[in-house]
Amino acid sequence: MHERLSFFVKRDSPIHRLNPMTKVVLALSLVLIAFSSPWYWTPQAIFLLAIIPLTFIARVVKEYWSFFLKVILATVSFLFIMQSLFLPGESRIIFEIFGLEVTELSAQLALRNATRIAVMISSFTILLLTTHPSELMSDLTRRGLPGQFAYVIISSLQIIPQMQAKAQTIISAQRARGLDTQSSFFRRVGAIVPLVGPLVFGSLVEVEERAIAIEARGFTSTRAKTSLHEIPDPSSERVIRWILIALVLVSITLKLWLS
Amino acid sequence: MAIVNLQNVTYKYPLTHMPVLQNISLQINEGEFVAVVGPNGAGKSTLCYTLAGFVPHFFKGEISGSVEVAGMESSQSTLDAWVMNVGLAFQNPFNQISGAKYTVFEELAFGLENIGVPRDEMKARVTNAMDLTGISDLANRSPYSLSGGQQQRVALASILVMQPKVLVLDEPTSQMDPIGTREVFGVIRKMAEQGMTVILVEHKVEWIAQFADRVIALKDGQLLLDGTPSEVLTSPILEESGFGISRYTAVARKAHGLGLWKTDRLPVTLEEAAEGFSFTPSPSLRSASQSPQGKGERRP
Repeated sequence: MHERLSFFVKRDSPIHRLNPMTKVVLALSLVLIAFSSPWYWTPQAIFLLAIIPLTFIARVVKEYWSFFLKVILATVSFLFIMQSLFLPGESRIIFEIFGLEVTELSAQLALRNATRIAVMISSFTILLLTTHPSELMSDLTRRGLPGQFAYVIISSLQIIPQMQAKAQTIISAQRARGLDTQSSFFRRVGAIVPLVGPLVFGSLVEVEERAIAIEARGFTSTRAKTSLHEIPDPSSERVIRWILIALVLVSITLKLWLS
Repeated sequence: MAIVNLQNVTYKYPLTHMPVLQNISLQINEGEFVAVVGPNGAGKSTLCYTLAGFVPHFFKGEISGSVEVAGMESSQSTLDAWVMNVGLAFQNPFNQISGAKYTVFEELAFGLENIGVPRDEMKARVTNAMDLTGISDLANRSPYSLSGGQQQRVALASILVMQPKVLVLDEPTSQMDPIGTREVFGVIRKMAEQGMTVILVEHKVEWIAQFADRVIALKDGQLLLDGTPSEVLTSPILEESGFGISRYTAVARKAHGLGLWKTDRLPVTLEEAAEGFSFTPSPSLRSASQSPQGKGERRP
């Protein structure tokens, strides 16, 4: 099978059962608070006291940490090293390399920024791990997101892997006729040309046919849409969302006030 | 009562000079099963798009004459109203999968969500359409993991849930293997038996002969023939137009020439051929085989 573009892991957990909107608001609030809070240790605290417990509650520990090791750790470490080398900081020098100084202050700021980024990637990772994309989109559509927009997002998650498979078929077919795809760089660039035509023109034809197919199923109908799956949205979750939004506002206000 | 009524329809795609449909007038009655045949480029697909409202609403271009389907006049309606009456399915099953849904059940519900059908009715209609097309066991599979025949039945089912009055099918089996073809025709047969008006573009004449009440032949955008399957599908005019005849018709025509075929009615399917074939050589055949010409045609 083709690689799936969706992160979603089907589990039974309190986080999975939350309304998608609540999860979006939760993810955004964690990010906004991590970025706006005036206190130095806030992002670190969010990472340890919110992100890590959330992975346990959502029962996606294995999936999250494998993604953490593969993607987040590398990104964040790179960011930490570059920032500690380049951020200006008039304080005690820890060490010098290639004429660049790592000072106590620049290391501190770099750690905070790196943690902020870690919180940002992690909270959206958890959102995507626990929320089925079509559930997310149908909930957002119900709340007024244009249907066409939701369709573009959702269908690309499925159609892009299909197009990759098609590209692979075209490459194999051309290779069978003697196309060189494995030698020097310039030859390979030249080899792309005969591949692009069939893929691009084929895709354009496909797009037209798909447009007709979904149009034939009332895609642009002006009637109010309904949805097959009921997505529960209890009032308790609405309260949680407002609390989260209030916390974000408090954090931003404090930041503005204290600076 | 005519559910489809075309009057002098002429249509030109944008940026082209030659009209694809020329002065087509056609009436189709409710519950009729009409097959459309013709060589490539005859305008068959364009006729389908016209009946389904995509010409002119989707493709633009110039249209003249009047198109009326299920009591609606094309020039006075919008595409989203039109698709409520007319369902369209076409060749490539893969392109008919919406791509927005992860299971077959959801895929079938896609159209109903779009037109705002309440949830309970939606589930009932989807379950019903899955039964009808024999895909109930695929309900939780991904539409992309299915075989061509299964995908095409999903595509048909996702049109049937919309409960159209007229079903337009543009070569639904052209990319199917024999098994897929049989599966898809099984569904089409059920639709016809339920009294749905079906307009089917198809090359497989043996299948057409089994199902259709009426066959229309198109050539160069014009109506060439219109009649019963046995009239149209065995017509020399059709063969001259570049559209092949069935092998049974071809054999029977030869047999007729040799006096082995008694009636004037030529067969299209194997069953008809087996019925009409006569094993007792007629006197004319004996004389034909004794003549030098007859002997010369025989091969060792």
